[in-house]
Amino acid sequence: MTVPRVSLSQQLLRRRPVAGAPVAHGASDHLKRSIGTFQLTLFGVGATVGTGIFFVLSAAVPEAGPAVLVSFALAAIAAGLSAICYAEMASSVPVSGSTYSYAYTTMGEFVAMGVAACLLLEYGVSISAVAVGWSGYLNKLLDNLFGWQLPQSLTSAPWDATPGIVNLPAVLLIAMCMLLLIRGASESAAVNTVMVLIKLGVLSMFIIIALTAFNADHFHGFWDKGMAGITTAASMIFFSFIGLDAVSTAGDEVKDPQKTMPRAIIAALIVVTSFYILVAFAGLGTQDAAEFGSDKQAEAGLSVILENITGGTWASTLLAAGAVISIFSVTLVVMYGQTRILFAMGRDGLLPSMFAKVNPRSMTPVGNTIIVAVATGILAGFIPLTWLLDAVSIGTLVAFITVSIGVIILRVREPNLERPFKVPGYPVTPVLSVLACIAVLYGLRWQTWLVFGACVGLVLLFYLFWGRHHSALNAGGADGYIPTAVPGDDDVMFVAEPKDHHFVTKHEDEP
Amino acid sequence: MTVAVGYLAGKSGKSPLYLAAEAAKTLKTSLTVVTVVPRPWMTPSLGRIDAEYAQYAEQLAATSAKEAQGCIDSIAHGLEVSYHKVAHRSVSGGLLEAVDELKSEVLVLGSAADGKLGQVVVGSTADRLLHSSPVPLTISPRGYRGSKAGGLTRITAGYPGTPETLHVVERVAALAEQLNVPMRVVTFAVRGRTMYPPEVGLRAEDSILEQLATQARETLAQLKADGVIGKDVELQVVTGNGWDEALDDADWQDGDLLAIGTSPVGGIARVFLGSRGSKILRHSPVPVLVLPG
Repeated sequence: MTVPRVSLSQQLLRRRPVAGAPVAHGASDHLKRSIGTFQLTLFGVGATVGTGIFFVLSAAVPEAGPAVLVSFALAAIAAGLSAICYAEMASSVPVSGSTYSYAYTTMGEFVAMGVAACLLLEYGVSISAVAVGWSGYLNKLLDNLFGWQLPQSLTSAPWDATPGIVNLPAVLLIAMCMLLLIRGASESAAVNTVMVLIKLGVLSMFIIIALTAFNADHFHGFWDKGMAGITTAASMIFFSFIGLDAVSTAGDEVKDPQKTMPRAIIAALIVVTSFYILVAFAGLGTQDAAEFGSDKQAEAGLSVILENITGGTWASTLLAAGAVISIFSVTLVVMYGQTRILFAMGRDGLLPSMFAKVNPRSMTPVGNTIIVAVATGILAGFIPLTWLLDAVSIGTLVAFITVSIGVIILRVREPNLERPFKVPGYPVTPVLSVLACIAVLYGLRWQTWLVFGACVGLVLLFYLFWGRHHSALNAGGADGYIPTAVPGDDDVMFVAEPKDHHFVTKHEDEP
Repeated sequence: MTVAVGYLAGKSGKSPLYLAAEAAKTLKTSLTVVTVVPRPWMTPSLGRIDAEYAQYAEQLAATSAKEAQGCIDSIAHGLEVSYHKVAHRSVSGGLLEAVDELKSEVLVLGSAADGKLGQVVVGSTADRLLHSSPVPLTISPRGYRGSKAGGLTRITAGYPGTPETLHVVERVAALAEQLNVPMRVVTFAVRGRTMYPPEVGLRAEDSILEQLATQARETLAQLKADGVIGKDVELQVVTGNGWDEALDDADWQDGDLLAIGTSPVGGIARVFLGSRGSKILRHSPVPVLVLPG
């Protein structure tokens, strides 16, 4: 590997040029500017709802008491503001992908690696957290249907409140998703719609049944846990708003983005938040806040509440079945996202090239998928759920803060850049977004910060010792940019193409 | 050695005859038209209960031979043509028996009659043979009437880049040299479907496709470097949103032949078409040669 002749600071701040990166082209032409407000709202609701609401209450209510309703509102505001900032970033930087790609294009390699660490934490841990939640509902479903459930030792992590050996269903779920992703399966828009309907259906059923057993006495001592409890709960709940940023990535395909984007984000947020708050409100009305944290409800909490109310199992079975089906699809989608982020990093040379290796037989990044599955499988099998929820939120929040700051940086540095969507109320909105995220972050436990610091630190160390020497932006680096392979384009090869040929655009305009 | 073509009057049209005649001319060998007829009941009986059925089978074979002859006479001057009748309870089984008996080097089949013109449509007979033929199998697109050039002008080898399929390239290279026709190697790369909800953008799969195409280009270049194929062989990576698009865009020419290998899962030295192969086959606009694994 050639020794880079640029200084360290130049390396840390160098940005990926937009040219050479895949710009809008034929592949998604049919999607181009075709999404309206309604569709985009559905899109956002679909991506967001149901990730965490099925199991977040049992973790959050003990922290905040009935005031968990306020926590939901706080988390929703933080998520909404961030999503709007995210939308500007996505529309002004014509690269495909995630926060990582935006950070790389606008704020340089070092920040990009930091963001990547946050995303690895967010996606990796949320796959595990969702899988652990799935395991609880699966067990509940088995119990209701067959009167038999997996033994405690096979459904709990070693460091759970009631320790077991391994959370087997969670590991199996991840293995199933891995096989599907290797085969090249993907969830279509139609399947996604069905999943949304299932999720909203079972949640509506929960709300209606729970409201029949409503007792206002359970809301006594609303503020007892105080502000600290509320923010702690909000930071856990924030996890259940992940996915709202998916709306922002559709920026290029949206009709009249300046109007559509904020409307859709806000509409999706209102729908999702009302659902969450209604679920929390209805749930709180049925039982004492302290009961949410009980052993019995730690897993499959919503199902257990329904069982207590109806005295029978049919409603609880329906809810558990809905959760088992829809959480499966959530795991698949999030795991897919994780592999594609690692893939992008592999192509940029910041991770070993094996992450960017596509298997010619299955036409999917097989090695990458297996690594993700093994890592998340270990997390899901051995780490308790509450820990996981916290770690997901911190990664997401820091990534969102970076994006909001990035919007400000980009406005200052490149004021003339064409932005199909601009944040309304700039500069107040991005600043508010940062503040809201910080407020939610404030509630996290110190252990979570430790995990987060260790994760980001490790990734940045990896970057300093390995990534910056292998980055595709290094002159003569092994992986240069390649010309975009537009689907349908013939690409006849030169007879004598130099082996180390690459197309990294020289960018003299860089500092 | 001969080229065997399966033909039955009223089934699947005349396209396999055109392809077989071309193949026999190109390979400078004879042509055998094989007709499989139902086997009558062979048990001797005083009542001759199956006489009409045997008669019908005879007649079917005769009609088929006559039809085939009428067609072949007009297209294959100077070819040594023979007609072969097999009585067998299944058409594919009969063809396999004939191939064995005639020691033919390739078996030619037509497309089924219920597809689009110009496309390879796999019928039930072809389907079974695609999973059991001991000799290379060629399938003509529906309505194929021979190339304007009057014969083979190029062989295209479909090569996915896996080591197990290298033999396809080697065999096509040998064949191209023997027949003195140009050759090209094509890798088809198909874009994965968009995941919903798209948490990492709607275009994540595009970058996978790009990477796949880059890798494929390197693998193809390696073929030349390793001397598996000559310097003048055309290399091409064709990408598309689906197999249909990729196949459409591969720049076919008059007299092209697409050669693909089969999955190594099947028995030794048998044709056993894999899932990708069958997708390629079904979307091919030119005759396809399927080589045993």
